[in-house]
Amino acid sequence: MTAITASAPPAAPRLALGRTGTAIALLLPIALINAIGFILPVLNLLRMSFNEALAGGGVRETVTFENWTGLFGDSFYVELILNSITVSLSITLATLVVSYPIALYLHRSTGRWRTFLTVLVISPLLTSAVVRTYGWIALLADQGPIVSGIAALGFAPPRLMFNTTGVIIGLTEILMPYMILSLLAGFGRLDPRVEEAAMSLGAPPIKTFWRVILPLTVPGIALGCLLCFVLAVSSFITPKLLGGGRVFLLATEIYDQAIVTLNWPLAATLSMLVLIIFGAALAVYARILRAID
Amino acid sequence: MTMMKRRTALLGISALAFAASMPAFAQEKTVTLAAYSGIFQDHYTKAVVEPFMKAHPDIKVQFYGMPNSAQMLGTLRAQKASPQIDVMIMDVSVAKAATDEGLFDKVDESVSKHVADLYPAARAEGVGGVGVTFDNLVLLYNEDQVKTAPTSWNALWDKQYAGKVAIPAVPDIQGTTLTIIANKMAGEEDYKKTVEPGIKKLGELAPNVQTWDPRPDVYTPIANGQAALGIGWNARAQVYSDAAGSKLGVALPEEGSGFQINTINLVKNSPANDAAKTFIDYALSPEAQAAFTEAMFYAPTNSKAQEKISKEALARTAAGSMDDMIGIDWIAVAGIRDAITEQWRRRVIPLSR
Repeated sequence: MTAITASAPPAAPRLALGRTGTAIALLLPIALINAIGFILPVLNLLRMSFNEALAGGGVRETVTFENWTGLFGDSFYVELILNSITVSLSITLATLVVSYPIALYLHRSTGRWRTFLTVLVISPLLTSAVVRTYGWIALLADQGPIVSGIAALGFAPPRLMFNTTGVIIGLTEILMPYMILSLLAGFGRLDPRVEEAAMSLGAPPIKTFWRVILPLTVPGIALGCLLCFVLAVSSFITPKLLGGGRVFLLATEIYDQAIVTLNWPLAATLSMLVLIIFGAALAVYARILRAID
Repeated sequence: MTMMKRRTALLGISALAFAASMPAFAQEKTVTLAAYSGIFQDHYTKAVVEPFMKAHPDIKVQFYGMPNSAQMLGTLRAQKASPQIDVMIMDVSVAKAATDEGLFDKVDESVSKHVADLYPAARAEGVGGVGVTFDNLVLLYNEDQVKTAPTSWNALWDKQYAGKVAIPAVPDIQGTTLTIIANKMAGEEDYKKTVEPGIKKLGELAPNVQTWDPRPDVYTPIANGQAALGIGWNARAQVYSDAAGSKLGVALPEEGSGFQINTINLVKNSPANDAAKTFIDYALSPEAQAAFTEAMFYAPTNSKAQEKISKEALARTAAGSMDDMIGIDWIAVAGIRDAITEQWRRRVIPLSR
């Protein structure tokens, strides 16, 4: 982001006005769409979060901080917020761990093989998350192949679905393509010659990984983690289908409050909270990037 | 230019001729009806909307299907300044919220003389509309896994079905209805006083529960054997159990059940107000009520409809067991719903982990 402003060449004063004019003209359509389609609704949500919810689903226009104070005064909601953040962080970490070796291998492969593998990695995005989640339901069900396989080996059959485990398994797989693509995009600085240099100077493979490869891939890791965390916090369908009503997360709670209980002010408050969490995640990301530079 | 003029004139003449030959078409009014999509829409269109249009050729009814009452309320709120919907069929407690916000006109005897024939439960205090369908909670079972049809809600508590029970939890009103039934089973008749015994009893059910949020609905996992037992609404369960090769069994337990009420409402400042009133009058008539019961097994709200319904269809509604039904005052329940939800989340659902 900083690179863009820094790389803009200093323009002659006579041209500057024309150029700014063009820039504004080019930015105007998307700025307008964003203002109408995003900023206005968000402001509307913010306003709604200060309204009062009436029993039975009514909304009374007023200015009250009750929704906000109630949220942090209620142990259920405090737990729900913490649970959302820890579950999303676990999903992000799991996605990173399983995606990193794949991305590293992809980065090193060449030619047609690389194209083929890249297509293979992206292909899950061609089917919707709903379909893939139903696939996981078939696999993780009590009579499904995984649970019966574990039982056949003589272990107590575990519960892999309709709980937090199921949500983490499902979302990890669903977010993997995003993580792999982000990692690949951030692997630009990883030059095989640097690794060779480290090895030829006597570093064993593990040390090369920790001291050379990993630090060079931090931009990709940061980008992938930011993307997956944001997607995990806001994902709704997979937790709804695999959570079995036991896993209380921000996205599913917003749905329940908006659609089932009709408590729009509370739903709006929770939505604003999600935005605040996104803002915090972006701040952490920016800080990491600045630290590397 | 002359060509253009001639053509315009011709068009005008043919339009006049067309209008003269079809006076009904020229005056046709469109009533927009918002109600549940899916099988409700399919059956309501065939049993009520199409016969109505046949009887009133000058009124066209456009069915606008929406997945749930909350979405209907949202649409209504958004259109408050200029409503596009004339008639809305939705759950009674949501209709109360909409009435409180001034979105509905009153449906009384001046709108339809049939209002006088409705059961008292269909005329809820403070709701603009009146009841158009009664439904009730039933016990669902998979016919392969539960060999003999259960006769009591206690089947849900049976340890042999541990991990095989599907319950749509609160805030879904199926969970609310089960709370009131469990409360009565535990000896407390007045849910308005306390639901404490019911909550305790549900805590004992919790370890049996596989999912508190069956998807896409509660009927599917039981029909395909993923779950063995569950709770759901009678009308939909009856329709799904009729599907070819269906394994879904439906039982109305001996302890009785509770009603869910859908109301038919007249939207305030609706564009086709008079035609909308004509449709509401028809929807409440014994004929329309009987036809919809035959089609989808909702119990009629018009007391004069029963005699027009076949014995077979009537036996599949709660109409025959009215005495065992718990009278649920949904308007009062709306006031204690948050408290019930809180109890479920703290003391029922956590016991099933």
